[in-house]
Amino acid sequence: MATAATTAARPAGRRAEAFSLGPFLLVPASLLVVAFLAAPLVVLFRYSFNRYSPREFMIDAFTLENYARFFTDAYFIGVLATTVQVAAVCTLVSLLFAYPLAYLMARTESRWKSALVIAVVFPLMVGNVVRAAGWMAVLGNEGIVNHLMLSLGIVSQPVRLMYTPFAVYVGIIAVVLPYMILTLQSVIEGIGRDVEEAAANLGAGPMTTFRRVLLPLSLPGVIAGGTLVFILCMNAYATPVLLGGPQFKMMAPALYDQFTRTTNWPFGAALAFILMTSTLVLTIVGTTVLSRRMHHRKLEAAPR
Amino acid sequence: MTTRALEAARNGAAAAPATGHARMKRRAGRWALRGLAGLVFFFIFIPVIFVLWISLFQQQIVSFPPEGYTLRWYENAFARSEFRHGFGLSLQVAFIAMVIGVTSGAAGAYAIVRFRFPGREAFNTLLLGPLVVPGIVAGTSLYVYYIMVENLLDVDFRGTLHGLVLGHILLTIPWTVRLVSASLVGLDRAVEEAAMNLGAGPWTTFRRITLPMMRPGLVAASLFSFIQSFENLELTLLLVGPGRTTLPVAMLNYLEFRIDPTIAAVASVQIVLIGALMLITDRFVKLSRIV
Repeated sequence: MATAATTAARPAGRRAEAFSLGPFLLVPASLLVVAFLAAPLVVLFRYSFNRYSPREFMIDAFTLENYARFFTDAYFIGVLATTVQVAAVCTLVSLLFAYPLAYLMARTESRWKSALVIAVVFPLMVGNVVRAAGWMAVLGNEGIVNHLMLSLGIVSQPVRLMYTPFAVYVGIIAVVLPYMILTLQSVIEGIGRDVEEAAANLGAGPMTTFRRVLLPLSLPGVIAGGTLVFILCMNAYATPVLLGGPQFKMMAPALYDQFTRTTNWPFGAALAFILMTSTLVLTIVGTTVLSRRMHHRKLEAAPR
Repeated sequence: MTTRALEAARNGAAAAPATGHARMKRRAGRWALRGLAGLVFFFIFIPVIFVLWISLFQQQIVSFPPEGYTLRWYENAFARSEFRHGFGLSLQVAFIAMVIGVTSGAAGAYAIVRFRFPGREAFNTLLLGPLVVPGIVAGTSLYVYYIMVENLLDVDFRGTLHGLVLGHILLTIPWTVRLVSASLVGLDRAVEEAAMNLGAGPWTTFRRITLPMMRPGLVAASLFSFIQSFENLELTLLLVGPGRTTLPVAMLNYLEFRIDPTIAAVASVQIVLIGALMLITDRFVKLSRIV
């Protein structure tokens, strides 16, 4: 509203000039996104209806057989199930782990606060490949975890940790935690401290305050962080490839294999759209369930 | 100062009615919370710490405890052409993609925040679009698209610098639009009005007033754009060619066979580079206020 008022106050001539030229500033960026993201996606989508032939590579067609193959092939259904399971577990665990740190970071008045924020952002910035390399050194047969367990006499043989689902869970949770922490932190910062104090003064213990006041109020942050992290987990590539080994297949590596190993483009294209659609559907379902619960709780609380 | 004193008084008042036992319990709970938070913090740092540590190990096969420390793996890493060239190519791609992405993205953000026109929201969604599409999907679609365009136009895209840069610009535009829009929204227009009233033309006002006020957003956008491009793996995987591989792809190829101090040294170089960029940027723009 304030903007409208100031614009109106300007001389008419200048305003007209600004209006005619301004939107054209969008042209370069929009062209780049249309030409190198939208157009390639359209091409890939079209290819997903083509027919694959080992001899002729790809035949122009309009068939749904690639999508049908996915839903009738137990192997690929299994890959999607693994992906969804990994994403769901990692989202929940990272939520549980992130909350305490996010809370302390939101509430601290220490002068180290900005250093803490940067320290959380930093691992996120060094890249997934670098972090996977670190986990390989930690979890390998000669890694630090096995070394510690052997020297403490907990085990007598090195335990296989690398190339297991466990390693993938650890790796992915470490990758997504910073996103969850930062999202939760910004939402908790927006919740007034006085609300917590009011609850405490009315006799609520810390657990009750958390469950009845803090958690419901921070639910938007939980939803936002959960959505972001779930999407990242569904699309994980480097971590499952490097820490899970060839036996452990998630959607993103399976999709990549279709283009490099089997060169079945139509099926690979179908995988890409199945991955994006299932992520979208699951995110919408999860968000709706959570926000309905939030709404429900509000109604429940109102008459009291 | 006063707020802190007030805080302490308030906390004291809140804690006063509690009995000694409850207070003990509350204190234990607070320490448990801190302990858990500390562990989580340590957990996200574990991989970084170990990469830096094993890059200095004496022995070639990673095992604990180290037999001694050496810097020779850094030399070894530099001697390997795939890492040396990968590092050079990644720097080049990230720099060019950053310049193009930040310029076009900032112009777009300016138009979106400052002007009202039909389809404004749609353009905003479009420019943020690359954030929504999974890297691996964007990468494969660019791969098939490049092959199609190569067949049509007889120009090479895969395994070329321009092919990589054009793909990586996608990584930089949404970050730029987000960060620059945020800095523009919080910008006080009265200052611009004042400059205009004092006789500055639109161009002078933009150059002397608006641009300096956009600076924090632009600096942060440049930093994040550069890093996003430099460390990108998924989008890049299918776009590299023989002899033209970015650093993360070269590291992935190596790590699929083994982890040793040489690759840890390469990864450490990336860690130090990105850490240094973040610290230098933080001198000019408070990063903690932006992310």
